[in-house]
Amino acid sequence: MVDPTILVLLLIVLIVFVGSAVVALRNRLTFRIAMRNVRRSRGRTVLLILGLLVGTTIISGSFVVGDTVTQLNLHYTYLGGGYVDEAIYGIAPSGGHLYFPYSTYSQIAQLAGTNPSIAGITPAIIDLTQALDKSTGIPQTNLNLIGTNANQSAALGTFVTDSGAQVAGPVPGQILLDDEGARQMNATVGNTLVLFGPHTLVVKVQAVVQDNVRGAYLTAGLSGGNVFTDLSTAQALQNVSGLINYIAVTNVGSQASGVGLSSSVSSSLNATLTAVTGGAALKVYSPLQTSVANAVASSVNTETIFLVLGLFSIVAGAMLIVGIFVMLAEERKGEMGMLRAVGVQRGDLVRIFYFEGLVYSVGSALAGTFLGVIAGYSLVWAFSILLASGNLTSNAILQSFTVTPISLVESYVLGFLLTIVTVTLASRRASRLNIVRAIRDIPEPPPSVRIYRYLAYLGAVLAALGVLVFATSFRGSSDVSVPVLGGALLILGLGLIASRFFKNRPVFSLVGLALLLWAGAEPLQTAVLGSSHSGGIFVVFVSGILMVAGALLLFVFNSTSLVNGMLRLASGRSGRTPVARVALAHPSRQPARTAITLSIFALVVFTMVAVATFGSTVESNLNTVINNESGGYSIVGFSTSTIPDLPGKVANNSTLAAAFSTVVPLVAGAVNVNATGYSMNPFADTLFAAPTNAGPASNFYSTNRFNFYATLHGMTAAQVWAALQTDPTAAVVDQTYDPAPGAIGGGPVAAHPLVHPGDSVRLSRPGSTGQTSVTILGVLSETILNGIWVNPQTAAATGYLNQTLYFFTVRSGVSISIADTEAKTAFFSAGLVLFDIGSLIATAIAGEEGIITLLEIFVGLGLAVGIAAMGIVALRAVVERRREIGMLRAEGFTQGMVLKAFVLEYSFVTVLGLAIGTSLGVLIVYNLALSPNAAASGIVSFSIPWLNIGIVLAAAYGLAMAAIAGPSWRASRIPPAEAVRSTD
Amino acid sequence: MAETVVGGEDVWKVYGAGETEVHALRGLTVDIRRGEMIAIMGPSGCGKTTFLNCFSGLDEITRGRVTIEGTDLHAMSDRQRSEYRAKRTGFVFQSYNLLPVLSAVENVEMPMLIAGAKGTEARARAIEVLTDLGLGDRLHHRPAELSGGQQQRVSLARALVNRPAIVWADEPTGNLDDEGSKLVTSLLRELNRKYSQTMVVVTHDAEVATGCDRTLRMKDGQFVT
Repeated sequence: MVDPTILVLLLIVLIVFVGSAVVALRNRLTFRIAMRNVRRSRGRTVLLILGLLVGTTIISGSFVVGDTVTQLNLHYTYLGGGYVDEAIYGIAPSGGHLYFPYSTYSQIAQLAGTNPSIAGITPAIIDLTQALDKSTGIPQTNLNLIGTNANQSAALGTFVTDSGAQVAGPVPGQILLDDEGARQMNATVGNTLVLFGPHTLVVKVQAVVQDNVRGAYLTAGLSGGNVFTDLSTAQALQNVSGLINYIAVTNVGSQASGVGLSSSVSSSLNATLTAVTGGAALKVYSPLQTSVANAVASSVNTETIFLVLGLFSIVAGAMLIVGIFVMLAEERKGEMGMLRAVGVQRGDLVRIFYFEGLVYSVGSALAGTFLGVIAGYSLVWAFSILLASGNLTSNAILQSFTVTPISLVESYVLGFLLTIVTVTLASRRASRLNIVRAIRDIPEPPPSVRIYRYLAYLGAVLAALGVLVFATSFRGSSDVSVPVLGGALLILGLGLIASRFFKNRPVFSLVGLALLLWAGAEPLQTAVLGSSHSGGIFVVFVSGILMVAGALLLFVFNSTSLVNGMLRLASGRSGRTPVARVALAHPSRQPARTAITLSIFALVVFTMVAVATFGSTVESNLNTVINNESGGYSIVGFSTSTIPDLPGKVANNSTLAAAFSTVVPLVAGAVNVNATGYSMNPFADTLFAAPTNAGPASNFYSTNRFNFYATLHGMTAAQVWAALQTDPTAAVVDQTYDPAPGAIGGGPVAAHPLVHPGDSVRLSRPGSTGQTSVTILGVLSETILNGIWVNPQTAAATGYLNQTLYFFTVRSGVSISIADTEAKTAFFSAGLVLFDIGSLIATAIAGEEGIITLLEIFVGLGLAVGIAAMGIVALRAVVERRREIGMLRAEGFTQGMVLKAFVLEYSFVTVLGLAIGTSLGVLIVYNLALSPNAAASGIVSFSIPWLNIGIVLAAAYGLAMAAIAGPSWRASRIPPAEAVRSTD
Repeated sequence: MAETVVGGEDVWKVYGAGETEVHALRGLTVDIRRGEMIAIMGPSGCGKTTFLNCFSGLDEITRGRVTIEGTDLHAMSDRQRSEYRAKRTGFVFQSYNLLPVLSAVENVEMPMLIAGAKGTEARARAIEVLTDLGLGDRLHHRPAELSGGQQQRVSLARALVNRPAIVWADEPTGNLDDEGSKLVTSLLRELNRKYSQTMVVVTHDAEVATGCDRTLRMKDGQFVT
């Protein structure tokens, strides 16, 4: 079945085509003239299409990136999700799966087995284990234990060994290891492994299996490793005879079609589960459906960021289209005047341009769509180089390259509509001419008073709209881009009204300045709007466009003063060299045309510089972020069961005592959180509590340096921790409960209860009905440990006593990785799993930086717009100024001087555009980096990547000069004798 | 007898080749003296403008020799010829050819700046010449804000500002009405007398020719009188 979106989009295009055909049939003469204009010069037609296709290329490239990221995410989601469409399990207070009798499975299987949508129901044990390969001597602490019987798990797929043989499942007493698990222990078939759990088992490796959809279950083959056993072996290891903790349900059909059945099967299973258990601790989950939804949402997020940043280039592309058509109109002014003189209506001129533009739009949208696919592939290729690590290989990324038909159709239609709408608007403007002035090539007089009256009306409408938008959004939590846009509309509207009564220059200079300040001065925005608004990628777009518009208004209405000042500054009154005079006269005296080129360069460079500066700022704050996230600790550890007096054991071990200065044990367990206003109560989360009676080297309250993003009544971090230590009703939550506004993000986020300091939430142990109410005193800045922190008495009263979470601080001068290995070795049998916090964050930031680098490359595509604009403007200038050039040559300008004048003129425009874009791009990141929200995330300083920016600017300038080189050379070679006599 | 400023010996200019070959100038020989004001007349297509272009150094010749103040014009490099034009010649064209983005005074001072004069000196001189030509109140107007006659006077001022040895004028009154035409013609004559500048005026206008010291008539690329 064809996607309805495609049908709607195609219908829009069809309507445009049919409508155009009808108009063409009724206006054959204008259509014929338009077609002849298209065929007039093949070279120019190609150039126009090249100029027009850039916007479509950006759209298409964004979609291809989105498709590919979706494919990549789905690939790993399906790999890790296996054929487990629904899962039935409960959460144990310790946080793991709750064990329940095997008979529960039997009853469920009997009742649900008749459901035609279910292909299989598998009883399983899924837990964590540690293993030591006795053959290689390598231990591994972070392994999944997956126990299923071969004869019950056919629906989950087949294991395939590295040699290609198919295996139904592990035989009793032996295990299957997936590739990743085997790699970590260097284990091979036949090796003897010791598995650690509540009991210890010695087993043999029956086979090493591929990380396919069966072998990579849970891990997707990316991290950790899997130990597959039969059910009885897993029960023996976990000391849970007759119990299981997981029922995997597989729907009929493929993984994708199985997900489609998940809602109805879950509903049916819920009824069965209620009938069997009476609604006890077990619940039905749809893990694959949830993972697929999250994967798609995450891809949409990525696509949104690419598309929004690409919007700058798309706007620049639209400016280029306007520029192209304005120049076409100027070039044909004389003939259009003649057509009007012989009786052609103004509407006919619009149609001539429209039909011509239609041909260009059809061609450019098609070419742009396919060029976008090539650009998208190039990005994916860059992706594969920048982001490949571990099992996320370059090949896997490249193989995920996907172009969906809907993306192609959407790109084409959006590109086509963008072009044709811009062309139509530009055509209306171009066809408005005075016949005599057009025929005699007399410049247009200044706008009449009537124009200013219309502008004042328009201003009134914009101001009213601005007031409406601003008034409804300036307080509250809407996206901050909305009130910013409202304020900007008000400023612009007031400016247009003022232009009716005052001179343009002061009015629009003030408007430009006001837009710059409003969109660019973060303290001003905060003072007016407060800090309760949410942020998003759109504010970057809105602020960027407004700041560039403000800067351009300032240029347009002060260009002459700027140029005169520059001439004076550069060489004093006596040094007004003729080349500089001629070069700078054009941009300053034709500011509107210059503004189009300037805006294109400024917009593109703005995004490139902003992305580069953002990346540099993130990188430069790595240490601060690590400190912020780690709370001053070096390692975070988990154990499957409590390690009694871990701090004492470390202190008594000379090797460990020399390595660690602090060892902090914490109580941790699963908790249900009930929050007011959350529709999906209870929310399953993790509870943390720190003992109050620990010694100085293991006291969380005195050793942690975690910061708070928000606290009740402005309490300090020390006050919050002190309160938590003594007050059983106090609690602290992580930032997912109270997300910082202004965080850059795009697509949908998973539902999460939202609370603020001062709010109360009710906590309960899974499976327990008793609830404890606590009040939130602070919201942590860190994002490493998600959950809720409470007083240890509260935790104990609710039944949380097990200390299974640990923070370690490595002594100065000791290698974290060596200390990590020593601790793992010492407490291996207790299943201590350790993570280097700094390394975790650095890895995450490295991934972020990879994406930022890709964004830099992607937004760099917009440079093509600037280059095309520059080339087209320069080509037009050569034709337009032929006689001027001839006259200058007659007056004594050498060929070199003409060339220099062209290079200087376009250098001025390019450098000014680059300067505007660079300064505003740096400014917007400066605002983001130094905002309180950024500080909460550990971004406390701001860094400008001078080298990166230098490369960007040099490349932009170099390419712009390359674009004008040909036309400038041609200009300098114009024979003066011909040029001085050239007529229109 | 005044010295020769512009001399031409057997000057040929051929456009195109083979069947499309056009002989625009056919072995012209001419001698123009310092301070002379000469009119070049003839029907359309007779080669008047080609004569002006080739003898002023705007265009190359095919054969022969053109000397300006004793120097072989076409033996010069493009740079030398440009320099020569900047310092020693002025041009007036039918369509004025003012730079639309520059004001009247900026247009007029441009040749002086090209010739290397200081900015202050160029500005003072440009104002002086424009004021002489009755445009003292139009100094900062751009060409689009001036009438045709005013534009041609600015063009004249530009041609004269550098005190060139020779002024080449190509149909200077072609775009003007009777009144404007008479004004420009009398100005040319007056300036020729005042500054003793050599002026070569290509024209269709008999009135203009009447005011000149002598008239050279052309037909089919040759002088006929």
